[in-house]
Amino acid sequence: MKNNISILSRILLIISAGLLVYSVYVPIWQIDLDAPQYPEGLNLKIFADKLGGDVEIINGLNHYIGMKTLHAKDFVEFSILTYIIFFYAVLALIAAVLGKKKILYTLFTLFVLFGVIAMIDFWRWEYNYGHELDPHAAIIVPGMAYQPPLIGFKQLLNFGAYSIPDSGGWMFIGSGVLMLIAVIKEVKFSKK
Amino acid sequence: MKNLIIISSFAVSALLISCGGEEKKSTETQATTTQEQPQAAAPAPESYDPKRGEGKWTAESLTLGTKLDEAKATAGETTAGVKCGSCHKYTEEKLVGPGWKGVTTRRTGEWIMNFITNPDPMIDKDPEAQAMLELCLVRMPNQSLTDDEARQLLEFMRKNDGLK
Amino acid sequence: MKNNLVTLAVGGTLIAAALQSCKPQNTSNVVTGNAAVKSYVAPGKYDEVYNFVSGGFSGQMSVYGLPSGRLFRVIPVFSVDPEKGWGYSEETKPMLNTSHGMVPWDDLHHVQLSKTNGDADGRWVFGNANNTPRVARISLKTFRTEEIIELPNSAGNHSSPFLTENTEYVVAGTRFSVPPDDVNGDVPINTYKQNFKGYLSFISVGKEDGKMDIAFQLECPGVNFDLSRAGKGKSHGWFFFSCYNTEQANTLLEVNASQKDKDFIMAVNWKKAEEYIKAGKGRKVAAKYAHNVYSDVTHSATSEIRNEVTVLNVKDFPDVCYMIPCPKSPHGCDVDPTGEYIVGSGKLAALIPVFSFDKIQKAIAAKTFDGAYDGLPIIKYEAALYGEVKKPGLGPLHTEFDAKGNAYTSFFVSSEVVKWNIKDLKVVDRVPTFYSVGHLCVVEGDSKNPTGKYLIAYNKITKDRYLPTGPELSQSAQLFDISGDKMEMILDFPTIGEPHYAQAVLAEKIQKNQVKIFKIDENKHPYVTKGEPESKVVREGNKVHVYMTCVRSHFAPDNIEGIKMGDEVYFHITNLEQDWDVPHGFAIKGAINAELLIMPGETQTLKWTPDKVGISPMYCTDFCSALHQEMQGYVRVSPAGSNVPLVWSVGTNQPKAEEAAAK
Repeated sequence: MKNNISILSRILLIISAGLLVYSVYVPIWQIDLDAPQYPEGLNLKIFADKLGGDVEIINGLNHYIGMKTLHAKDFVEFSILTYIIFFYAVLALIAAVLGKKKILYTLFTLFVLFGVIAMIDFWRWEYNYGHELDPHAAIIVPGMAYQPPLIGFKQLLNFGAYSIPDSGGWMFIGSGVLMLIAVIKEVKFSKK
Repeated sequence: MKNLIIISSFAVSALLISCGGEEKKSTETQATTTQEQPQAAAPAPESYDPKRGEGKWTAESLTLGTKLDEAKATAGETTAGVKCGSCHKYTEEKLVGPGWKGVTTRRTGEWIMNFITNPDPMIDKDPEAQAMLELCLVRMPNQSLTDDEARQLLEFMRKNDGLK
Repeated sequence: MKNNLVTLAVGGTLIAAALQSCKPQNTSNVVTGNAAVKSYVAPGKYDEVYNFVSGGFSGQMSVYGLPSGRLFRVIPVFSVDPEKGWGYSEETKPMLNTSHGMVPWDDLHHVQLSKTNGDADGRWVFGNANNTPRVARISLKTFRTEEIIELPNSAGNHSSPFLTENTEYVVAGTRFSVPPDDVNGDVPINTYKQNFKGYLSFISVGKEDGKMDIAFQLECPGVNFDLSRAGKGKSHGWFFFSCYNTEQANTLLEVNASQKDKDFIMAVNWKKAEEYIKAGKGRKVAAKYAHNVYSDVTHSATSEIRNEVTVLNVKDFPDVCYMIPCPKSPHGCDVDPTGEYIVGSGKLAALIPVFSFDKIQKAIAAKTFDGAYDGLPIIKYEAALYGEVKKPGLGPLHTEFDAKGNAYTSFFVSSEVVKWNIKDLKVVDRVPTFYSVGHLCVVEGDSKNPTGKYLIAYNKITKDRYLPTGPELSQSAQLFDISGDKMEMILDFPTIGEPHYAQAVLAEKIQKNQVKIFKIDENKHPYVTKGEPESKVVREGNKVHVYMTCVRSHFAPDNIEGIKMGDEVYFHITNLEQDWDVPHGFAIKGAINAELLIMPGETQTLKWTPDKVGISPMYCTDFCSALHQEMQGYVRVSPAGSNVPLVWSVGTNQPKAEEAAAK
């Protein structure tokens, strides 16, 4: 049947869906802060619906440089992200069960789109927090902005900030990779 | 299969190289003992003269008259009251240290002068002082006597032993 | 195709793993191989350096040896010390007297060694009390606090004590501006700008005996004075104070005192001020303050309250103070060994400005001013500046110097010490400290001829440096060898209290002057007992004076009867020993103060008010001899109004039955 996808693809999609569901319950992203006087390290964990890790300590430090303090309720994303992820999980299951190629391709496209939009949104938040500083802050270094890195390492004053996916984020990516494998398989298969 | 091995080994080595600087190794070595030996504790016992003791007084440097020097003896009695009387009685009775009665017949004048001005090294070397230490269990302290005070005390001891 | 996919998958996973685990690492704390040899002092050998360290909130000064980091002594200064009887014995209580009464604690931030011709001379060390403003002088012959003088018109005595080149003056400055003592201080707090003033005190120090006296005070604008330094060599005669809160904020200073881009270093021409005072231009102001002196001859302290101080208002004498702009909320203000360069450390700044004394003098002569601050001329920043050290680190606090033209600055926020060359303003080396260094100390690093060799960083955060001891940890200090080009850490040791600043000096300048015993013949204590035959108990109404002696291993008298309820008993104990390191202690059951620790030849007094009828034992608390456990006595307390006779003895008070049997 030309419109249906292979068993392998279906299995991959089911695993994909499982990974997506699980990613809601673990931190998706983390920002590690490293400074000489914090040998134990400081950690900010971003879940689908909340913030975790040393949020209070980081907020305490942020006020010296005039950065806004972080509160989950300020981020509208936290109220809808869980639902979006579940939507994709369900869509993947539907694609696995019904087996139609069109659903698979749609799923993959939407998923990649979602990933891109999410990163852009994350960057936008980081930009705002890093640039909109309180002019009455105690420590003002002229020309300095505290935008954390999107991914990778960046030195901010005496802190090294390291922004990388956490376990949930890897699952997200893994889920996308599985979908990609399924898509490639179907495309190659249909060409034969 | 070949590709897989190549890529795997490449990735693994890349992993090892880039993550090599992780451990905080402290590279201390054992301290070498380069310090000198401490000074030898006591010189050869053969050089110690039990009649004279150890110190600056000798039979020649000390002038003991046949008659008592009343002024010196009185001064010595006052000093004894302040610096010696807490531990020594002037009779034969032991208090903390031995009683003074008869000391000038048992010891030479220079031994007494040396002992009261320099007790620590003598307690280490003099056999009689060591015997007394076993009885008294207290090392006689150095009471920081001046030369005059020491001489006056000796004169008072001579008076105490009956010299007129 | 499958292979490619698998390859892709495996490769991708490995890359992800590599990304995950290859975070940039901390600067690893590698200690070089010969650190142990450099910091080890073998048993029986002596350290090279005496290190006098402020105890901060412990109110004490500690003495460490370097390079071993061994603690030799904790000198009680402003805080009572029950171990030594400091503040508990009748003789030492007056030392802690102030215009508020007896104050048992204070906060000792900074230490300064006395100087002659700009170099440490080993005579005295001075310490400040932050809370009840006072300055203390400690003798380096006996390592005891000999004199304490209180400062009127002052609050928050932080910028203190700092000495002029020849110990002409000990200078103190106020951290908190408040209304002066002789005006009505009952004003709303937000009238700070109108009513609150900062005060600098110039305390003269007697050349021979070190006796302190407030020669004059300068009334200044209401800023916070943080630290200060005297000029040396060509800049002798001037004093430099770092000022912050030039915004003159009175609330939420964290924000409101950090607004201005530049605060000031205030340059004070004290020689000029001295001339004005001599010419009678100062005004006498009523103010109460205490002056307490301890004598090693009478072994007692006396306290007097003084009533007047001479004040000069700097606004009326515009050639005494000049303001030099300095970024930003400056903390340290340090003068290099030549006296030419003044280094400002702005604790919120990202650069270090270095000012030139010659340029400052030229600017004053040419009147290169940029307005005035509260009547005091502000010198143009560029006119006074020699240059700036760019991007040295974050949060510079304090600078000291070595003999090779280098400066060492501590950085609190970036937790490091940075070495830079003064002439070309280039950073030469940097080392991390663990963690967040406050002040540092170079051996004689603030003198005309620094010794160099060792640098100690005193840190504010300890965390994981040592075995943990619950939530409260000691402060950590690191010792660096700075004799080479690169700084090397050779020791990490904990310190008592909270060191804010320290001074270090070669041991040879102090070692040979030590007093070993007090000569009993020279003891002029009013209640001294020179010899056991003179020991006695004397009743004067309800006061009982016990003239007691102690020697190895008994007290005389050691049996006392006839004390009554309602008596105040004073044990005046004279230690008859004349040998080295033979102190005796004294304690009596039921005393609500502390023990006495009496040195050979010394007399000290413990006051005891018996609180119940019965027998109270007393004993020696300092292990003195093989028979230390036998060094004890008894005191019999009878009811008030009883007719038990007052008797005392040692050795003769035998049981009656035995006496009869002996007959």
